[in-house]
Amino acid sequence: MIKIENLEKVYKTEEIETTALNGINMHVKTGEFVSIMGPSGCGKSTLLNVMGLLDKPESGSYKFLETELLTMNDKQRSNFRKQNMGFVFQNFNLIDELTVFENIELPLIYNKVPATERKRLVNEIIERMNIVNRSGHFPQQLSGGQQQRVAVARALVTKPKLVLADEPTGNLDSSHGNEVMELLCELNEQGTTIVMVTHSSHDASFSNRIINLKDGHVISEKINKSRTEELI
Amino acid sequence: MFKLNFKIALRNIWKNKTSSLINISGLAIGLAACLLLLLYVAYEWNFDGQTFDPSNTYKVLINNVDANKKITNTWQASTNAIAPLFKSEYPEVNAAARIDGAGMKLIANGRKSLKRTACFADPDILNIFDYNFTAGDAKSAMVAPNSIIITESTAKDLFGTTDVLNRSVHFDDKIDLKITGVIKDLPKNTSVFFDFLMPWSLDEALTPWIKTPSWGNFNYNTVVRMNPGTDPEKFNLGIKGFMHRHNQYADGQLMIFPLNKLHLYDTFLNGASIGGKIEQLRLFMGLAIGILLIACINFMNMATAKSEKRAKEVGIKKTIGATRSSLISQFLMESLVLTLLSAVLAIVLIELCIPVFNNLLDTSLKINYSNIAIWLSLFVVVLLTGLISGSYPAFYLSSFNPVQILRKRTFRSGLISINLRQVLVVGQFCFAIILIISTIVIYKQIQFIKNRPIGYDINTLVQMPQEGELYGKFDLLKERLLRSGAVTSLYQSSGTIANHTSSFSGMEWKGSTEADKSIDFSQIAATYDFIQTTGLKLIAGRDFSKNFASDSAALLLNATAVKLMNLADPIGQPVMYHGNKFTVVGVFQDFIQDAPGSKESPLVVAFTKGWGGVVTMRLNTANTVAENLATIEKVVKDINPAYPVELTFVDQLYAAKLKAQRVLAILSNLFGGLAIFISCLGLFGLAAYNAEQRTKEIGVRKILGASVSSLMQLLSFSFLKMVGFAIIISVPIATYLMNNWLKGFDFHTNVSWIIILGTALGTLAIALLTVSFQAYKAANANPVDALKYE
Repeated sequence: MIKIENLEKVYKTEEIETTALNGINMHVKTGEFVSIMGPSGCGKSTLLNVMGLLDKPESGSYKFLETELLTMNDKQRSNFRKQNMGFVFQNFNLIDELTVFENIELPLIYNKVPATERKRLVNEIIERMNIVNRSGHFPQQLSGGQQQRVAVARALVTKPKLVLADEPTGNLDSSHGNEVMELLCELNEQGTTIVMVTHSSHDASFSNRIINLKDGHVISEKINKSRTEELI
Repeated sequence: MFKLNFKIALRNIWKNKTSSLINISGLAIGLAACLLLLLYVAYEWNFDGQTFDPSNTYKVLINNVDANKKITNTWQASTNAIAPLFKSEYPEVNAAARIDGAGMKLIANGRKSLKRTACFADPDILNIFDYNFTAGDAKSAMVAPNSIIITESTAKDLFGTTDVLNRSVHFDDKIDLKITGVIKDLPKNTSVFFDFLMPWSLDEALTPWIKTPSWGNFNYNTVVRMNPGTDPEKFNLGIKGFMHRHNQYADGQLMIFPLNKLHLYDTFLNGASIGGKIEQLRLFMGLAIGILLIACINFMNMATAKSEKRAKEVGIKKTIGATRSSLISQFLMESLVLTLLSAVLAIVLIELCIPVFNNLLDTSLKINYSNIAIWLSLFVVVLLTGLISGSYPAFYLSSFNPVQILRKRTFRSGLISINLRQVLVVGQFCFAIILIISTIVIYKQIQFIKNRPIGYDINTLVQMPQEGELYGKFDLLKERLLRSGAVTSLYQSSGTIANHTSSFSGMEWKGSTEADKSIDFSQIAATYDFIQTTGLKLIAGRDFSKNFASDSAALLLNATAVKLMNLADPIGQPVMYHGNKFTVVGVFQDFIQDAPGSKESPLVVAFTKGWGGVVTMRLNTANTVAENLATIEKVVKDINPAYPVELTFVDQLYAAKLKAQRVLAILSNLFGGLAIFISCLGLFGLAAYNAEQRTKEIGVRKILGASVSSLMQLLSFSFLKMVGFAIIISVPIATYLMNNWLKGFDFHTNVSWIIILGTALGTLAIALLTVSFQAYKAANANPVDALKYE
């Protein structure tokens, strides 16, 4: 599904240049659940941002289902993103002024889905995420785990081909964290491709494959046998 | 999407109550000030717009010329000969009317009598002005000579009803007139104002000499309606020599000028308009826009200061798929919603302020809610305000890069945005400081000219109009008043001493040249006891006196006149005054008769028995004022029972001279105060956000041992720096502007450094007070709470 070749990304701040990605090569198959791990500053978040078309690398190639994405202009990128990708963040990033229902509905609005259809889709996912009785609440009224479930719901409501998760359990205690991980696994089993950045090897153990980064390089790749067998 | 954006807007307004309150109240005050001034501007703009064909309605003006045919001045008055000849000689003149504004006259229904503004005019006036008849009609209302058109409120006051067609009223204690028309009250913004209108033929019948066409008595106004398509320039060329063609001694040059422009462009030089009240109007428009901009700046500053909070929303939305334009429209929507709320509040404010404003400015402003134009302009102002105040935040906030925002937990707004915010605050305070310095200088100037010695004893001097029996029985009146003990001295004259009422030229004296004949002299026609009653200081000679029979041809001069005439020994000098030989019997010191800020013009006080108009009396200080007034009223009523007794204090008339300056002072005071208030509101908001943003820093500093005062310094200094900048920029501008303004007065004060220092310190103090409230709160907070804040 994803094929990345020789990706390079350099951050420039006044006098210092930091190489965040230094010739990354990797691929993700359709239906896979890939974890990206590595120490702080190894470039894993940058890589996720590039994959999510939020950031532009200096050079390299990024193909998504045989389509080259890096040559697109901003508008095309934005369009591609909202049609194909969903995001889950460490700090949930829900909009405080909107209710749970409205937060989940937002990407559908940007995708110009008609109102009745939106309602149906949102209600469906709210049911699936087990947050029906919360749909009228504002994010601040929910626990961290519930907020992250709303965030996952929002990421999934457009039925994206790829879900990008940036330390989805980082702000949660272990029981809530496990809940979210189980939710992601379940989604993956239903066919959604997931790429997740994480610090936690416990979380990574839920995925099919673990890619280790250091100083902008891929230093190792490990296949999680217990999960991979199901995939093949 | 619209619905969702609207919801976010409302929820944001509700959630950030402090900043919403600052924004809404600031914008509401700004909008109210702006709309009020715009109402005033519209009022002035529509002056004399109540005609059938405004673009073809003109007033006949006259350019006076000197011996070399050079135009010396332009009068708005004309003679009674012009209108009829215009109509017969020029086919392009559709209608022409002479108008004789007769002043306040008596009108009575049986025993009920009132004094109201009267006017005589040719019936053609009804073809020029579009009066709103509620009874009778324009075709027949002025046909009969003894007819009268009255306004609804006059009808109500006289009869208690407006259903008064064909009823009879008694005019000026002289003649019965039949009401042939009732019209809606005239608005105040018309130069032809009256409460009742009578045909010219009645004027002629009551005062027969008016029948004679005159070329020298400029006592009337002439208004003409031209046929559509007439070129006024061409027409003016034709009528330039009109007066001279008809009368060889008349050398004034006629011209027509658009009636509805005359009010605003009434200053003429060389026969061409060079401005007038329009300049004041432009100033007010500038003020209106300035105040509104200050409020808009508040909005922008608050919005960008809040950007840290909004940035997250922008980042999320962009990640999910929002385009920049959808975000821009969302933020604009927010500012529009806020502006709309402010507009509602503004209308409430205006309704509360309008009576006071009308009172101050002597206008009749009101919001006419059924007028679509008002709603349309309100809509435009709200839309523009919303767009202006929302534009910068919208473009700024929507430009955020989602990765930057979402990755870093603490988002710092860029250097440029901070600078722009500072620039805006500096701009706000510049405007406010300029207004404050202007206000103080204007007040100082008013005080300065108020304190100029008037030249006569203005206290205990009262005057009343000389009308009815008071002309013929003046000597009786004088004798009775003096005997009553209420009055110590009195005289009759052509006009009040408080104001310039009449001018003439053509005076001749020993050694005068041909050119001296064009010098304009002010004149007062008076009789005995002029000097004694007013308390003017004689420099030489004496007052008019009954002991000298020759005083029937005597006159007094002021010092300026003597200087101008270059008379070494004025007493006893013969002069030619209006073609008659008079003798100078006294010279008195200059006194203020014109504008208190300008030099005195030469004044001639000539003994003239037949030319009365005003009786001026010196009250007896042995009695209380109330007693004196009661006695005078009784005596006068006895002699002149048909007229109400109207006593006016001369010092009140004098005070009215400063009205224009006072209006300016009130307005600049009001708007200067508002500007400072709104600016401080903005400063308050910014300080609050600044303190909030730096909560953690303050906590850390406090734990490390910083004192409250050092923290307050830290938090306040950057704001005071901005105000200091504003002072440095605005002081030279204000000094320059006010020095220019002061140049318009012959006698003027100066822009002193005390004013500047006072304003600077005052503004700094207000700003410090505003900011330090927030700073104190932040500096005194528990540091542990501050650290938990993250």
